[in-house]
Amino acid sequence: MTSRPPTLRDKRRYVLIRTDPAGTAPDQKELYYAVHEAVSSLWGDTAAAQIHMAVVAAEGEYVVVRCRRGMERELVIALTTVTSCGGQRISLRTIAASGTIESLRERIALLQAAESRVDLPDECTIDGGRYIICRCSGQKVDVIEKGFKNTTRFFLTREDLEDI
Amino acid sequence: MKITDACVYPRPFGDSSVRRMALEAHELGFDSLVAVDAPPCEFAGVTIVHGVVIRGMPAQEAALRVKRCRDTDAIVSVQAGDNGQNRTMLAMRGVHILCGIHRTDRYAFDHVTAKMAADNGVAVDISLAPIIKERGVMRQRALDRYHDIVRLYLKFEFPLVISTHARSVLDMRSVRECSAIASVIGLDGTLVEQALSNVGALRLPHSAVRVIQ
Repeated sequence: MTSRPPTLRDKRRYVLIRTDPAGTAPDQKELYYAVHEAVSSLWGDTAAAQIHMAVVAAEGEYVVVRCRRGMERELVIALTTVTSCGGQRISLRTIAASGTIESLRERIALLQAAESRVDLPDECTIDGGRYIICRCSGQKVDVIEKGFKNTTRFFLTREDLEDI
Repeated sequence: MKITDACVYPRPFGDSSVRRMALEAHELGFDSLVAVDAPPCEFAGVTIVHGVVIRGMPAQEAALRVKRCRDTDAIVSVQAGDNGQNRTMLAMRGVHILCGIHRTDRYAFDHVTAKMAADNGVAVDISLAPIIKERGVMRQRALDRYHDIVRLYLKFEFPLVISTHARSVLDMRSVRECSAIASVIGLDGTLVEQALSNVGALRLPHSAVRVIQ
């Protein structure tokens, strides 16, 4: 099978997104299903076919999603309605759109270089309960309750930990 | 002109502290947040406004709570009910926002209540939560109700506010994303910007004539 000449190919756009909470790197296939469900439930099958969405790359918490050129707005709106992936609560933050994956990879490298991590103790106590500090970046601190049950993630700041 | 999310629920209602929500709001492009039952403060350049949501109580009890909040700096939101209840709430001094209209029936907010909202300076809340979180019939119903509100808004020009009703930082959306979602219900960029900056004006005393210079 020969590939089509460039003039006959669909023009595509690539959208760079970051998955929140920080540190979660969802499975590429599961993310595809989550985004696909969001696109088709919001815009319907006809528009979903026109958007022609695909998850093309994932580097840690950064993901590149492809769509047909001119359908970026529809894709971005649908991305905001994704609230879970593989049973885990997530949020997708749109960072940039580009015509090439390469320029988004450069952007990812810049963003990853700019991330700052702060070392904090592994555990803390909040209202008498023991919590594991799972992520600390700048002022932001994410904690998870220690134990097998009720392992809800809480989103706090370093000042909150000092106050507690 | 401050870009404000008109309703968020920090801990203990949700899983995020009010400071964390302020940090996130700053990154997402907001200048202030109306946080339910949170003390007014400023963090990371974001002003936290104390918010009160009155829901699930009879009109008399609601009126008492509104009266108690009248002399404070709180933004008072009242859950919309049937048409009669909405008229009572809109006529009440001290009510700033009528929220949760997407959950009411089609006749709960009509041209009469729209005119009352415009005359009394009470804002109508467009919560983005049902568009983001709901699927199927529930989302379709919310979109339908919001389309109707936007049509009335363009005719009567009552104040409109936009909120995410976020209970977590994961539920918060950026200003650009809010604008994109609002475009689905027929609000263009200018109207969204106006709606996001309306909260500050709600705290000013409402009068028929306003001195601007």
